[in-house]
Amino acid sequence: MKKVLLLLLALFTVVTLAACGGSGDTELIIFQNKVEIDAILREYADAWGEENGITVTVRSCGGDACAYGDRILTEFQGTDQPDIFVIEGLGGFNDFKDKILPFENQAWMDDTDLGLTVDGVVYGFPVNIEAWGMGYNKDILDAAGINPASLNSLAGYRAAFEKLDSMKAELGLTGVVGMAAGAGMEWVTGLHNFNGYLSAGLDYDDRSVIEDLLAGQPNMDRLGQLADWVELLFQYADQTILLEGTYDSQVGAFKDQKVAFIHQGNWIDPNLLGAPAIDFPVGYAPHASVSGTVDAIFVGAPSYYVINRDGNNTDAANQFLNDLALTQEGHSYMVEKANMVPAFRSVTLPVTAPLSAAANVWAQAGKSWAWFQNDMPSGFGMGEAGPIYFQYAQGNITKEQFVQRLADLIRTLQ
Amino acid sequence: MAQAIKLNPKKKLGKKASERLWFWLFLAPALGAFAIMVWVPFFMGVYFSMTDWTGLNTGRQILIGFENYRTIFTDYRFIYSFSRTVIYSVLNILVINGVAFGLSLLVTQKFKLKNVYRAAFFIPNLIGGLVLGFIWQFIFNNIIAGQVGLQLLERSPLSSSPNDAMFALIAVVTWQYAGYIMMIYIAALQNIPEDLIEASKIDGANAVQRMRAIVLPLVAQAFTVALFLTLVTSFKQFDTVQSLTNSGPATDLPLYIRNLLNITTIPTVSGTSLMAVDIYREAFTRFNMGVGQAKAIVFFAVLLLISITQVYVNKKREVEL
Repeated sequence: MKKVLLLLLALFTVVTLAACGGSGDTELIIFQNKVEIDAILREYADAWGEENGITVTVRSCGGDACAYGDRILTEFQGTDQPDIFVIEGLGGFNDFKDKILPFENQAWMDDTDLGLTVDGVVYGFPVNIEAWGMGYNKDILDAAGINPASLNSLAGYRAAFEKLDSMKAELGLTGVVGMAAGAGMEWVTGLHNFNGYLSAGLDYDDRSVIEDLLAGQPNMDRLGQLADWVELLFQYADQTILLEGTYDSQVGAFKDQKVAFIHQGNWIDPNLLGAPAIDFPVGYAPHASVSGTVDAIFVGAPSYYVINRDGNNTDAANQFLNDLALTQEGHSYMVEKANMVPAFRSVTLPVTAPLSAAANVWAQAGKSWAWFQNDMPSGFGMGEAGPIYFQYAQGNITKEQFVQRLADLIRTLQ
Repeated sequence: MAQAIKLNPKKKLGKKASERLWFWLFLAPALGAFAIMVWVPFFMGVYFSMTDWTGLNTGRQILIGFENYRTIFTDYRFIYSFSRTVIYSVLNILVINGVAFGLSLLVTQKFKLKNVYRAAFFIPNLIGGLVLGFIWQFIFNNIIAGQVGLQLLERSPLSSSPNDAMFALIAVVTWQYAGYIMMIYIAALQNIPEDLIEASKIDGANAVQRMRAIVLPLVAQAFTVALFLTLVTSFKQFDTVQSLTNSGPATDLPLYIRNLLNITTIPTVSGTSLMAVDIYREAFTRFNMGVGQAKAIVFFAVLLLISITQVYVNKKREVEL
């Protein structure tokens, strides 16, 4: 009998020990998706934590190696859930709204217009600003005698593309436009290119087209204009990159001066500056997603820090974000260390990375179109619209069918 | 003596009870582990498939009965994935077993270096599916097709059409898995008694007759195992698809599914979106955990049914020596 009791006791002990996880209560956990700034953020967070007597843990998951969307769900299952995590746009907000604590009376809120606001309540702290347009290689345009200022309408682009196409051999180009539409690159087409339909030519806060989309109402006129633009891009794109290209082959071709234009945002700066760094000047021209004159690029906050409402340290989380937005150390971290374009007015440090600087020029001039691609339902852009772009790039469907299928797709949201 | 006989039954009962206690006590760790690892997750899965869970650990999900199951049987993506998975699995099972059996016949002949060949055919199986997918993606895009390689094909099969992509996938999975299945066949072939073969030779049986009357019946057991393994892995194929084709290329939803579900438009679907991939996307990119879980349960039931049928049918063909 003694033996049995002993055995039961042993079993009980094992179970109890296993059930007890370690738990600390002054620990602030940040879970974020920019792996490239992991070390830099960690360094900043450590310094901040030391000053404030709080242990800050940074966990990063993103890029090709780690699927943020999957991992965040895992993070929520534990007892030490992240206090601050990252969401992307309204789509992300809808997925995670059960977990998000609204911001109230925080000092940073007066310093930016880019916080994520839903029904008048601020839920998200903008991590940074990103932008995309048609990135161009100024040297190649100069060699072909093209003035970037002429790239302000579909006709302007057509003339420039035709001229570059006729000089391909001379300039050593494999194609005019570097753009990828294949499997795995649907974010370029289904999100970034398609955002032209949602916001190009409209005021920054004009949500009419995205709201119609969410209600299942396609705008046939705008879809037609988008299709004209996509047709032109696909016609002059390097076909191998278009159909089979990866992010690396797309950016690589632009870096090697094999294509004159790139359909990517300023997040490719680290790739452009990686050894060997590019030695040609670059700039951004507007997407001709709508007819008439176009004079803006797509500028927005790609992601937001939000506070976990089930977290243990919401006060520390708020303090961390305020200091990030409003202190000298925070500014230096964002601009100088992490090479981000900050979303806050009080930041005065200059932006130096090539495409970020080009994007900043447009943003400062107020020539920006909004990002609504993340306001579409999860999986809509990449999983549904992207494959239709690919069908069109393949030549499986005509321009009319391309428009028709996008319209049908939007109607499924009714 | 009489006293002892009187006492014995009582003692025996006590012993039995304590034996039973010890029996369960010794079983408890294994049983507990099994329950925690298998039963609990399975029944939680069934529970979540009946909720509107989105994957957030909020505890605020609500029970919605069989709504998710209703959703998936009208979901064209699921129906399409199912049809593609069936086509893929049938082809894959035939090709892998054909190749594996062929290879095993070759490397059981008497010739030099046969062990080297056995190892060489087996080694691809040791490479992880994800890595393998990326390697073969490079080979298809840049060596078989592409501007610098052998240019055997004009377009990379991974992006030219859904069927090409599926054939490419089958080729890669066969390359990876046939060596493993080959090992099972080798073991079976080596168990065939030499004297049976010899006797048949003396009786004047030719190679085809020997194969039909002796070899095939005697390796039937191996066929049961190999077919089961290939069936299950084909249906559950995930990692290699994810990295090789990323479930692409895009194509129109076939007419028969549109007619089946009464869809008047032409939705676009991904040509190699097999069931495991479709379930993953439902759960992790569309965040419909409940629906994804329901798909997984249906998937489980279908796979269980098919594999039991397969084993039953195969078992009937087995012979004992």
